[in-house]
Amino acid sequence: MRRKKWIRTVNLFCCLCIITPMLTGCWDRLEIEERAVVLGVSIDSVKSDHSQEEEGEVSHLNNSIPAPNKSLIRVAVQIALPGRIPLGPGESGGGNGPAEKTVWVIDVVGHSIDDAFMNLQQQVSSRLFFGHLRVIVVSESVAKKGLENINDYFRRNPEVRRMAWMMISKGRAIRFMDATPKLERVPTLYLMSTLDEGSRMGKFPKDYIGIFWSNLSKKGQEGFLPYVELKKEQNIEIKGLAYFRGDHLVGITKPLEIAGYLGIKGVNPAGYRVFIQPGDASTAIMTNTTHRKATTKVQIKDNVPHFTITISVELNIEEKLSENIQFNNPAILKQYEKKQEEVSLKFYTDIIKKTQEKGSDIFGFGEYVRGKKPSFWNKNVKSAEGWQKMYKDSTFDIKVSMKLRRIGMKAK
Amino acid sequence: MQDRQITVIQAAAILVSSIIGVGVLALPLFAVKAAESGAPLVTFLGMLLAFVGLFLITVLGMRFPDKSVIEYSQDIIGKGLASFGSVLIIVFFAVLTSLTAREFGEVVVTSVLRSTPVEVTVIVMLLLAAISTRNEITTIAYIHTFYFPLLLVPVLLIVALSLKNAEAINLLPVWGNESKGMMKGTLTIAALFQGTFVLSAVIPSMNKPQNAMKASIGGMLIAGGLYVIIVAAAVSVFGAEEIKQLLWPTLELAKATSLPANILERLDAAFLAVWVTAVFTTLLSSYFLTIHSISKLFRLKDHKLFSYFILPFVFTMAMLPQNIVEMYEIIVNVGQIGLCITIVYPGLLLLISILRKKRGNSVEKKKVDQNR
Repeated sequence: MRRKKWIRTVNLFCCLCIITPMLTGCWDRLEIEERAVVLGVSIDSVKSDHSQEEEGEVSHLNNSIPAPNKSLIRVAVQIALPGRIPLGPGESGGGNGPAEKTVWVIDVVGHSIDDAFMNLQQQVSSRLFFGHLRVIVVSESVAKKGLENINDYFRRNPEVRRMAWMMISKGRAIRFMDATPKLERVPTLYLMSTLDEGSRMGKFPKDYIGIFWSNLSKKGQEGFLPYVELKKEQNIEIKGLAYFRGDHLVGITKPLEIAGYLGIKGVNPAGYRVFIQPGDASTAIMTNTTHRKATTKVQIKDNVPHFTITISVELNIEEKLSENIQFNNPAILKQYEKKQEEVSLKFYTDIIKKTQEKGSDIFGFGEYVRGKKPSFWNKNVKSAEGWQKMYKDSTFDIKVSMKLRRIGMKAK
Repeated sequence: MQDRQITVIQAAAILVSSIIGVGVLALPLFAVKAAESGAPLVTFLGMLLAFVGLFLITVLGMRFPDKSVIEYSQDIIGKGLASFGSVLIIVFFAVLTSLTAREFGEVVVTSVLRSTPVEVTVIVMLLLAAISTRNEITTIAYIHTFYFPLLLVPVLLIVALSLKNAEAINLLPVWGNESKGMMKGTLTIAALFQGTFVLSAVIPSMNKPQNAMKASIGGMLIAGGLYVIIVAAAVSVFGAEEIKQLLWPTLELAKATSLPANILERLDAAFLAVWVTAVFTTLLSSYFLTIHSISKLFRLKDHKLFSYFILPFVFTMAMLPQNIVEMYEIIVNVGQIGLCITIVYPGLLLLISILRKKRGNSVEKKKVDQNR
């Protein structure tokens, strides 16, 4: 009996010996204030030659480990300052007004994304952490050269989330990092909420970086990103869709053409307003889209895909420009519906034409061909390049039906 | 005579948690490489093929309700040949154990604990399995049953939440645009189900071995169904082409999924926590099967003796692959070789046992008949 007890003690001791080293902490312990939490990244191209000198030789050496012969990029990061970020809206007492910045913006140059980050890491004491990266702003000129390297780096990094936004900026992207919008204490959060709210109000489709990557990879679809511009009050305007062919930016739409994209895809909620004028300017009214529905059907006609798109949209009247018109009988509403159907048809057709010219199928019509007509696809298209060519020859038949439902609180 | 306590439900739980393991992360990639949008179909075919193996093992187990595969193979094809087969089984499952542990280590080191040495994550997991295998088989059955709901619920939750980003067109055409790799893909995926072989060690401890078939059908349906659902969800959310770009699509799926109302914006941490238990149960099964088979081969009563004895061997084997690409190549190849052991070998055994009219303990048989 005593012997047994003794053995138990020894066993217990052995167990403790084994467990203790495992509880002493781990290799990956990193205190939160030792992390440089990157909230936003901007990527610009570099024009001048003397920026070469600005770059230290951190991940390459001219003699032994040469850098790839690629043009330099300027990468700026927004690092959150621990302690300065307010934890809630009520915590305004701590800060000393807007003068105190919540983020720290640093920019470096590099030959690639990782090269730039390594140059940056050489300058920043704490370890860069991308787990909270919410916004990546890429300038138009970089996007035109191609996003291959950028997509590769962020896809490979396990910390980056697929719910971050990537956007294309008009002008230099670094200005978005420096911007100080009044609504949010943290500038990138404002950038992010512009797009998040935009997609909630029906102004912009949900297009997180993960969705962009998926669309980019698909054989029958191309990717697109929001195109944004910094306005004079440091606010951000969504200027349109920047659409791609492969990794390269090939075109940019007008803001209203986003509505065209949303209509063709039937994305809800709907949120764009347009003018409708059946006669002269005095008959103009403004309508608000409330609900969209769209179906796409594909047939093969004369060895090219023929798409039939049926779009039905529900509208409300929001304003009229003069008292000439009275909404007092259904026939008038019918007249407006008809007019809007007419103009919308042209509107939708033009957008598709525009993307067809560039061979950039952001709507994913090719996916319908791949999915619904696999034998045709396997014989004639096969690859993403094949579809980029085929898309230009595809024919479309668009049917639009508009329904004016409500006229607001005014009776006439 | 062992005490027979394991119920049908417990046996099914053992099967499910033995199947669902480390392979879940790379599963959509394997399936998509084989048939693009036909990935769910390939997974389903793989499940059917794996069920053939499980079916054979179950029928054999029901013919010899008192014995494990190591013992009855001696009755069927004689000692010499059977020992050779048994050694193959033992080596295969030892390799499988080590590869599971290594794959686990690689995932953890790549995605979560980036500066922890891979040796540490592997040895911790193997130690955990080794300690747990020192229990009786009934206790192990309880462990499996305990973790069983923990495996199902979070995975189903992630699948359900991810469906809001899903597009049905990604799943078309159901047989895939290019179906050349279909056959090979089926084999690769069937190889992910090889944990089911543990049933051969479980049947001798089941209280009603004649109901083993119920357990295997149930277990296969749940685990296979879950696999098909995961693949379908991953393909419908990402599209086949994007999955080809991702090493662990299931983990990426968890990363892209958020709980409503911004409670958790990415579920990969939660998913990994659950996945660790899934890996543990799989590891436990294959480790147990290895040492159980060794002890039966040497006609020992107790399997505990080998728990720590094989640990260094398994660990060394786990450290052999030089890099992650080589590791996946080995996993795919070993898995396909393993199909000979888990499907062809039991098939031969069953055929010969029918031809030679070999059956298990007749006393047991009578008892079985009375129960009906």
